Amino acid sequence: MLDLILTTGVIHLTIGNLVMWLIAFLFIYLAIVKNYEPLLLVPIGFGILVVNLPLTFLMEEGQGLLWRFYHFGLEWEIIPPLIFLGLGALTDFGPMIANPKTLILGAGAQFGVYVSFFGALFLGFNIPEACSIGIIGGADGPTTIYTTVHLAPHLLGATAVAAYSYMSLVPIIQPPIMRLLTTESERKIKMRQLRPVSKREKILFPLVTVLVICLIVPASAPLMAMFMLGNLFKECGVVKRLSDAAANELMNIVTILLGISVGATMSAENFLKPQVILVFIMGLVAFAFSTAAGIMLAKFMNLFIKEKINPLIGSAGVSAVPMAARVSQIVGAKADPKNFLLMHAMGPNVAGVIGTVVAAGVFLALAG
Amino acid sequence: MVDWNLALKIFAFGLSTVFCSLGILIAAIYAFGKALKSFEKGQ
Repeated sequence: MLDLILTTGVIHLTIGNLVMWLIAFLFIYLAIVKNYEPLLLVPIGFGILVVNLPLTFLMEEGQGLLWRFYHFGLEWEIIPPLIFLGLGALTDFGPMIANPKTLILGAGAQFGVYVSFFGALFLGFNIPEACSIGIIGGADGPTTIYTTVHLAPHLLGATAVAAYSYMSLVPIIQPPIMRLLTTESERKIKMRQLRPVSKREKILFPLVTVLVICLIVPASAPLMAMFMLGNLFKECGVVKRLSDAAANELMNIVTILLGISVGATMSAENFLKPQVILVFIMGLVAFAFSTAAGIMLAKFMNLFIKEKINPLIGSAGVSAVPMAARVSQIVGAKADPKNFLLMHAMGPNVAGVIGTVVAAGVFLALAG
Repeated sequence: MVDWNLALKIFAFGLSTVFCSLGILIAAIYAFGKALKSFEKGQ
């Protein structure tokens, strides 16, 4: 009888397991009731729940089902590039091609990545860990995961959850910073309507971008190549089936595998550490500084250019597509309801994705 | 012990690479935009 009881998980439960169950239930609650990043928080929450069931050995190396998802999906670098393929098929680079100088705002918003990188170093993290924490400031989930798996896999759960949590909290985190750093008259700046972008330009863009970025930062190639391939599928117009598959079915499948693999890394012994709280704090710092840097860079650019840009679109450089661009629109519309910034903000928004991939590539090349 | 030399190198090289690569991309977008325009005019 005792042997039979010992084969059940019940008596092997720890306080840590119970705490992680609470975190899992919280994630599932936030996803279902509050609609916070439900596509990711439901599988992540469920992954946390089942990996904290004793004796299931779901993350047992070489045997566990979730270990296989994690190992072949994330450690073998399959899932994040496939997510980027889908993102490429969903992204319209038209606003950025119409006004290329907004690309600089996507670069400026990476500043927070480096602030947080140094912050993490001062808090006692080593360089690979600091890179993984800093990249949260790019507000790009797959890039954060890709970087962390390479540089500090033991932090994967914390960095991934921090990145996705802050992305869903963009409408709460960004507006106070945007209002603090801009004047009423700056928020009212109207921008000229964007020119139409031809189909040829849109087809050439992914080809040119993959050449430029991958030649400068070869380590960014897995993400950048798939991102641009997805976009070429979308824009070329002759592979609609592939474009639809990348943007829908494939994206959904890899999102499930990504979510459950990330959740599965969050066992009690991995996650319940003081380090994790520091990761969340530094992630927030990165996010705030990235938002501020994008706005300040837009203000700086206004000193030199004839046609002023509304500094509110600078905050959209943190990626988090399209949420950050929507926030620029909402804050701008509060200052002047007739001001439409959404399409202008989409430029730095998608440029931010490219900027984050470049920053991640440099981290991987120098700290990997 | 943190290797501050490497940290500074990552910061300086990283931020400048981000700006340079996106700067080059801006130049490339303007260049192929112009090339396309003249190509379309020639057609």
